[in-house]
Amino acid sequence: MLIQLCRKVLTDQVNNVRALRTIHTTVVNKTFWEKEKKSGYAQKYPLTSKKMILDGLKEFKSELNLWKEEMKEKFESDPILVFRPGEIDVIWKFSEEQDLDKWVVTSDKDHNQGLSVASFERSPAGFGLFSGNLSSELPIDGRIKKAGYCNIKSMRQRKSFKRETSFDWSTYNTLVMRVRGDGRPYLINLSCEAYHDMTWNDIYHYILYTRGGPHWQVTKIPFSKFFYASKGRVQDKQVAFPVDRVTSVGFSVSGRAGYDGNFSLEVDYIGLEFDPHETEDFAYETYKVDKYIVQT
Amino acid sequence: MIRCKNCFASFVTNRLRLQRVFQLRQLCTSNEKSEEQKESEQIKREKSHEQFMKQALILKGSFEYVATKDKGNYLEMIKIFENKDVHRRNHVEFIYAALKNMEEFNVHKDLQVYKALIDVMPKGKFIPQNLFQAEFMHYPKQQQCMIDLLEQMEDNGVMPDYEMEDMLVNIFGRRGHPVRKFWRMMYWMPKFKNLSPWVVPNPPPQDAFELAQLAVERMCSVDVESVINIYNTEDVEDSVDHTWIVSGQSPEQKELLTRHPIKSAVYIEGPFLIWLRDKSINYFILRGDLPSNRQPVYDEDEYDDVSHIDVPLFGFGKPKKNKLIVKPSIHEQSDGIIYAVCCTGMSTKDSLLSWIRLLEKDGNPTIKDLAILFKFKSPADKELVTT
Repeated sequence: MLIQLCRKVLTDQVNNVRALRTIHTTVVNKTFWEKEKKSGYAQKYPLTSKKMILDGLKEFKSELNLWKEEMKEKFESDPILVFRPGEIDVIWKFSEEQDLDKWVVTSDKDHNQGLSVASFERSPAGFGLFSGNLSSELPIDGRIKKAGYCNIKSMRQRKSFKRETSFDWSTYNTLVMRVRGDGRPYLINLSCEAYHDMTWNDIYHYILYTRGGPHWQVTKIPFSKFFYASKGRVQDKQVAFPVDRVTSVGFSVSGRAGYDGNFSLEVDYIGLEFDPHETEDFAYETYKVDKYIVQT
Repeated sequence: MIRCKNCFASFVTNRLRLQRVFQLRQLCTSNEKSEEQKESEQIKREKSHEQFMKQALILKGSFEYVATKDKGNYLEMIKIFENKDVHRRNHVEFIYAALKNMEEFNVHKDLQVYKALIDVMPKGKFIPQNLFQAEFMHYPKQQQCMIDLLEQMEDNGVMPDYEMEDMLVNIFGRRGHPVRKFWRMMYWMPKFKNLSPWVVPNPPPQDAFELAQLAVERMCSVDVESVINIYNTEDVEDSVDHTWIVSGQSPEQKELLTRHPIKSAVYIEGPFLIWLRDKSINYFILRGDLPSNRQPVYDEDEYDDVSHIDVPLFGFGKPKKNKLIVKPSIHEQSDGIIYAVCCTGMSTKDSLLSWIRLLEKDGNPTIKDLAILFKFKSPADKELVTT
């Protein structure tokens, strides 16, 4: 209570000072650091501390089980050492309902920035179905310039007790997916965020072209093909993605430039493979460009 | 202020008339005096009108008032702006207004138009003369305007060419931010331009029939032996809807269909959507259920499990069941066997029934003994071709 009172007094004082300085109208530039990981898109859930404690206790049991498994694995210390070529290790499969719980669906409508809707559920044939309707129509708020996207993303990989971790894919070199699309191109996003705020928006992209039609397709994409972008902007200094710290995988689809309408992407599995014929480290040029031209 | 909608059109026509009048005057000098006077009066009137229009052409709204919105008039608008005065005042505002109205004039995927817009900028004036100017974005408003123009090109999938580089370098110099943006575009865009393994012409055809052919061809690319047939429902007796059908089927699918058990039904399912660039079209499939003995059998032996190793030399137990099956064809998918795909001009039940009759004639004689069920999805898209 006392703290709240103090804070109130302080903010009032600050406001008074601000009110006095009427000429100063420059907006403070905060581009050099990120306040939080979602760059202002985080939703605030007002939870009381009592509720938080109760929820935490509920999760304690499952987290403890997870921890037990981890400890077991640690003492067994029997990691996979040989990765046979041609063998696909499946990371996500969507054969059961709870497999979809690890994924998050977003569209521009969620943040009142558009009218696209999307869902990620089980298809009648028993696979994961990412579908919806894209609309690049702008909401009339005079602020949004572009709209029309839908996205799915796997949740951040975690250890027990909500400790963040990441995938280590250093023994593989190809991403393999079995999908059935509708002819649209989709964007594959590999998020590789690390500790510092500079890396929170590091995403490596490549395009998933779909054939369309009733037949499934298996798409294999070498890791070297993924290019580096941050907040949707392709970066000048390109690097191959850090295979040992992938935090999540996602798919995006855009409705801009006349691609408005329904879309559907059925996913059977997403896996990894070691292909010995794939020797390329990075598919894009990494030569030095003129000074003061790069990253400006 | 411009008050009427057709003002711009009348302005353009007046200009043309004016030119014609001048030509007339040059050509026929032996006309009567009274007529000449009349003409000069008319010219005066038209000149004053033109003067009025020059003052009246407001930048922001001018594109909205054009009567016929096409490429010719769009370029004409740019020309009018360029010839309005020497200084080309407010050219940034003009370019932004022009960019905003591109889609309505249907020029948003036209490189020539983007070049014409870049050409509005004065050459030489914005080139930085020293290090500080180069580093601190000389003429920022103009540079940002050009960056936005390039971004709009990028969004619409328009790839620039090297003439555009020369234009931009002439305007902003080699250190200009729009030039840097151009270089980035020219590095990345060609990489993805022809990356799709399923080629579709750019722009895709407007005609539904041509689109259907491309769509069926694309879906059938899964089997190289596939044959694409174009049927006409008029060849079927008692057909109600007269339209075209584009059907795709491979010899393997035909063979699978002959082996389909008579007891179980086949389904016509759809409409499903396939996209070819920014055009979409509905298609239908002929599907049968997988027979139970064709269900994939998984080997239960765990190779990594070393607790029960079989020694083949001392195999006293029961011999293992033979788990070999014929390798399933590509058309035997996990959720059924696909026998054929088609697009019809009307997507109606009758046209699909005609499709079955035509398939029967075209090498699928067993289809007449099978029960055929329609499984229609709710019509999410009302139109056959969405544009």
